[in-house]
Amino acid sequence: MAENKLIDVNNLKTYFHTEEGTVKAVDGVSFEIYPGETLGVVGESGCGKSVTSLSIMRLIESPPGKIEEGEILFNGKDLTKLSQGQMRKIRGNDISMIFQEPMTSLNPVYTVGDQIMEAILIHKNVNKKQAREEAINMLRKVGIPLPEQRVDEYPHQLSGGMRQRIMIAMALSCDPQLLIADEPTTALDVTIQAQILELMNSLKAQFGMAIMMITHDLGVIAEVSDRVAVMYAGKIVEYTDVKTLYADPKHPYTWGLMHSIPHIEKDLDRLEAIPGNVPNPLDFPDGCKYNTRCPFATDKCRVDEPDIEEVEEGHYSACWHVDKLEAKKSEEKGA
Amino acid sequence: MEWQEVTLRLFKNKISLIGLILVIGFGLIAVFAPWIAPPADPSEPYMVPRAGWGFEPKPPSAEHIFGTAEGQYDIFYGIIWGTRTAFRIGFIIVGISTLIGIAIGTLAGFYGGWFDEIVMRVTDIFMAIPFLIAAIVLTTILGQGLRNVMIALITFGWMNTARLMRSQVLSIKEEEFVMAADALGAGDVRIIFKHVILNTIFPLVIEASMRMGSMVITASTLSFLGIGAPEGYADWGQMISFARNWILGGQGNAIQYWFTVVIPGSAITLFCLSWNLIGDAFRDILDPKLQ
Amino acid sequence: MISYIVRRILILPIILIGVTLLVFSMIMMLSPYQRLSTYIKDPAQLKSVDVDVLVARHGLDDPWYQQYGRWISGVARGDLGWSESAGATVSEAFLSRFPATAELGLFALLPVVLGGIILGVFASVHHNDFWDHVSRVLAIIGWSVPTFVFGLVMLMIFYGHLGWFPPSRLDSWALEIVNSSGFINYTNFFVLDGFLNGNLAIVGNAIRHLIAPVVTISILWWAFIMRITRSSMLEILRKDYIRTARAKGVTENVVVYKHAVRNALIPVVTVAGRMVLGLLGGLVITETIFNIEGLGQFMAQAAQQLDYPAVLGGTLYFGFLLIMINLCVDVSYAVIDPRIRLE
Repeated sequence: MAENKLIDVNNLKTYFHTEEGTVKAVDGVSFEIYPGETLGVVGESGCGKSVTSLSIMRLIESPPGKIEEGEILFNGKDLTKLSQGQMRKIRGNDISMIFQEPMTSLNPVYTVGDQIMEAILIHKNVNKKQAREEAINMLRKVGIPLPEQRVDEYPHQLSGGMRQRIMIAMALSCDPQLLIADEPTTALDVTIQAQILELMNSLKAQFGMAIMMITHDLGVIAEVSDRVAVMYAGKIVEYTDVKTLYADPKHPYTWGLMHSIPHIEKDLDRLEAIPGNVPNPLDFPDGCKYNTRCPFATDKCRVDEPDIEEVEEGHYSACWHVDKLEAKKSEEKGA
Repeated sequence: MEWQEVTLRLFKNKISLIGLILVIGFGLIAVFAPWIAPPADPSEPYMVPRAGWGFEPKPPSAEHIFGTAEGQYDIFYGIIWGTRTAFRIGFIIVGISTLIGIAIGTLAGFYGGWFDEIVMRVTDIFMAIPFLIAAIVLTTILGQGLRNVMIALITFGWMNTARLMRSQVLSIKEEEFVMAADALGAGDVRIIFKHVILNTIFPLVIEASMRMGSMVITASTLSFLGIGAPEGYADWGQMISFARNWILGGQGNAIQYWFTVVIPGSAITLFCLSWNLIGDAFRDILDPKLQ
Repeated sequence: MISYIVRRILILPIILIGVTLLVFSMIMMLSPYQRLSTYIKDPAQLKSVDVDVLVARHGLDDPWYQQYGRWISGVARGDLGWSESAGATVSEAFLSRFPATAELGLFALLPVVLGGIILGVFASVHHNDFWDHVSRVLAIIGWSVPTFVFGLVMLMIFYGHLGWFPPSRLDSWALEIVNSSGFINYTNFFVLDGFLNGNLAIVGNAIRHLIAPVVTISILWWAFIMRITRSSMLEILRKDYIRTARAKGVTENVVVYKHAVRNALIPVVTVAGRMVLGLLGGLVITETIFNIEGLGQFMAQAAQQLDYPAVLGGTLYFGFLLIMINLCVDVSYAVIDPRIRLE
């Protein structure tokens, strides 16, 4: 693995100070993204994955949010220490982001061409005509037919799938090194979903960029990621490459997630959902945040919070009782 | 949102709290008027007593805490009993015009088609005449007096409610639960009542509380112009009607007659303010996006 | 979109006829004798002449549709009838009073629209700051003060006490100049005419007389527009596409003024239509209090004197104005929002 990390997040803590209390949305998260790879970040709603990505982009609404601690190194530069003005040079240029709702993420009163050109005109030294050419080019690259026509159309004239392509075109127009995709396919039909993921993969190769793919969908993770970080209640609980994660999960939460997906070959009497709910961020349990739902929880888990540790090479997990999980897995294999 | 939660939030919100206190304050004044300012003639409590026949307004003194207006009408008495007048005007006009508006708007929205078109055109026609002018015209025709003012304001005061109601009905009509009720065979009237009206009540409440203030202002404007309450009636607008003669400074220093305008004017402003605060707070509370 | 506008224009005459019918029917609630009073100045006359003859002569006893038909056919010919209270034809009375009202209205629009929108945007950007709370409180108070009370207080302080801003449109010396042969009245807008005649003293005097009524009439609506703009902006600034713009590296100013404002203006434009309606009413009061001889004051007086040709003509005129303005509002929707344009 090359040592030139694109993104190096160390102990990131982003808290929200609300009237009802402090929400520790991201509470000590560390991970890396290497150039050209896809890091999948998976977890249920509210686990902090979106806030993590917004923290990288420094788009956290402050107040009430604040990056309390930690560093976010981008090519060695700490993004948390940059001014908003300096961050603006990076956003849309070196690091781009696309969001979940393509239907509402585009400004309804400007043409799609206008909105793509905006990013180009801000970051690149070209005139309007050239920017327009580039915009049309991008539309073509993302697979929009008749781009010369489409460039002058308004968002409401396009379908959801097309709008997400436009978002991608906008994000990639300045050739970023990292694309953060926050649930890009969640709001789309399954068939369109597959198209968009394929598009993103091919563009990744074309542009040579890294992708941070945020989703709650394990299927999407499996399809696009090189490495995966599993998040729960503001922390990363497991962190390894994608094949290992699926073949040999070493955290009860990951294992629980995998189990809740029905397999065609298995004979199931009932769907195995993880019992309980994600804890209220204003009222996290003591100790390991997962203890309320974990079948292996002991008293120690209810008092001490485990740090994330390397349990085997390149494989990290935050759990006191990985051995218990392993025992259970062997049991099932044997059965 | 449940009523209990709405009331609770209403009390917690500082803005609405002030409004509530003011409204309750006015309410208490209205209720206890006969004790706070005993009428000179119990059979005509709304006629402001005159402390003599002098022309010039007298400033506040121990005897007349708010002073006297032109013709020696006791301003304090007028303010106190004027509170009752204000509430009466507000409740009657807003109450009746809201009911009319609800009825018209609901029917138009629900039945749609050419019926809706016609009703909307009629509404447009009523709305094409500036409110104050229409009120002046109708009041002049009907004759002086508060009752006619109320009729006039009701006649031209239902349109906004009707439109609001209609647009609410139109959007709810498409909602699935109404179609479900329809599919289950619930009768038209039942659907209208239960699902439509109960779901649209909140914006109406906001609108109605704002109109309490604006209707009282319009009524007092008409009284000021001389076509509302008769001379000497306990109505805040009426009490200001002669003030213009004195504050122009022609007959001596203008500011010394400040009380003829400022005191009744403040009463109207505070009354309207309190309802606006409540309406504004309602809007903040019931805004689904802020929940 | 075009078809929508065309439809609206076609409906216009129907609405106008409806308005006239409405007002006419209100006036018909008066008996012929009451309506006769418009024509009789001197009550003594009533005793000497046979009232019924007069009633018949003016056709006040004919069936309503005949009377209405007479009036309507007059209008079609451009004849709005005779206004007793003005001592001139209704058309002349309107024309001579129009500039005063228009001047006041136009000058009032500036602070309302510009001030209201700009301050509204400002308040939304400095959301929850001290100044935001202050402006919100001021706006609610402004919305609660009756126009006539505000006008009277303005008169009391700034004219009665300080003598700075007098009522009427001009001082008598200025009026003399304006009515003299040396002064050409191009428009009867005194500020404009003053400039065109190169007489800055007139301009200054006209402006001095305009300040108090303009403030009076605009304070209410300025508050209104500001609030609507503020809350609309707040809503828009929460939208996803604003987040997208920031994620592209757009500066905050551009986010606010390019991306947000245009979207936020949509509900403001809606309100503008309603505002004009209210402004017209406000003009009535303001002109009456400040003794400005405009259409508003004329309408109020005409109504009080039951000068019904004037009242009918006035409501026709205002109705037309209102509908045209609402049409403009609809057109501006199309200009601002492409979703409507392409329907």
